[in-house]
Amino acid sequence: MTTLYFLDAAEFTDVSAVAAAQPGARVERLPGYVAVTADGPLIVDRRATGVRHSVWYSALAAVGHGRVVQYDKDALKVEPTP
Amino acid sequence: MTSPTAQLREQEAAPRGTSSHPVRGINHMAFPTFDPAGTIHFYRDVLGLPVVQTMQVKAWGPEYQRDFVHFFFDIGNADCLAFFYYFGQEPYHDENVPPLLDLGRHVALHVDTVEDLDGFQKRIEDAGLKLDMRVMHETVESIYVRDPNGILIEIARPLRELAAADAVDAEVTAQALLDVVASDGEPTLDALWARKAELIASRVPA
Repeated sequence: MTTLYFLDAAEFTDVSAVAAAQPGARVERLPGYVAVTADGPLIVDRRATGVRHSVWYSALAAVGHGRVVQYDKDALKVEPTP
Repeated sequence: MTSPTAQLREQEAAPRGTSSHPVRGINHMAFPTFDPAGTIHFYRDVLGLPVVQTMQVKAWGPEYQRDFVHFFFDIGNADCLAFFYYFGQEPYHDENVPPLLDLGRHVALHVDTVEDLDGFQKRIEDAGLKLDMRVMHETVESIYVRDPNGILIEIARPLRELAAADAVDAEVTAQALLDVVASDGEPTLDALWARKAELIASRVPA
């Protein structure tokens, strides 16, 4: 089970929303953060978020039980770790 | 990972600018200059920041000291950007600073509005100087220009007010960084993300 944490700030709202829109993803609002959890890989399409590069590359605040296998101009992909 | 450092100091997290410590901004930050004419022209005439304090000093103290002029430009909020011009000192420029570290070392001035930022861009371009770049960062929009000394000057305007969440995240990130650099493994962003997740989860009531 992998959890992506995004800072609960206006510039990251579209990123966390795209992450949360995946089938099977669950969203939880924590103090200061939006946490998106899934049993399988989590993939965020950068173009779907519509955010500028500076926001995109600073959007990921934390990763619980996952490994970032892609984080580039196309997508963020995080796979679960045992 | 077991934290080798102190517990998160959440109680001290406060939005930027609201801390209760006694420091009130930058009294001054100072750099040497070998081009006082260019420096005064750039800050006073191009940017419009007046020279508000100077001192001319006869060398005293250590033998390497030289006669010098110390001059201060007002950068608002009673803060100053200051320079030393040492008479007779051979110019020195570090040509070997890696580009990444060169960019990381800069001075950022604050303005309140986009109109202020546009105004500074116009001042710089009207003076025939080249703007290095204009960038929308996460929470500020910035323009960058080199001063005659090679110092990278950023002028930034806020895109939003910082909030409690920013301060909490800053504390969490700082603690995670302390833990990551103190651990046996190689400090990486991946390690920081993982440690932050542990710290965030530990803050959530069960």
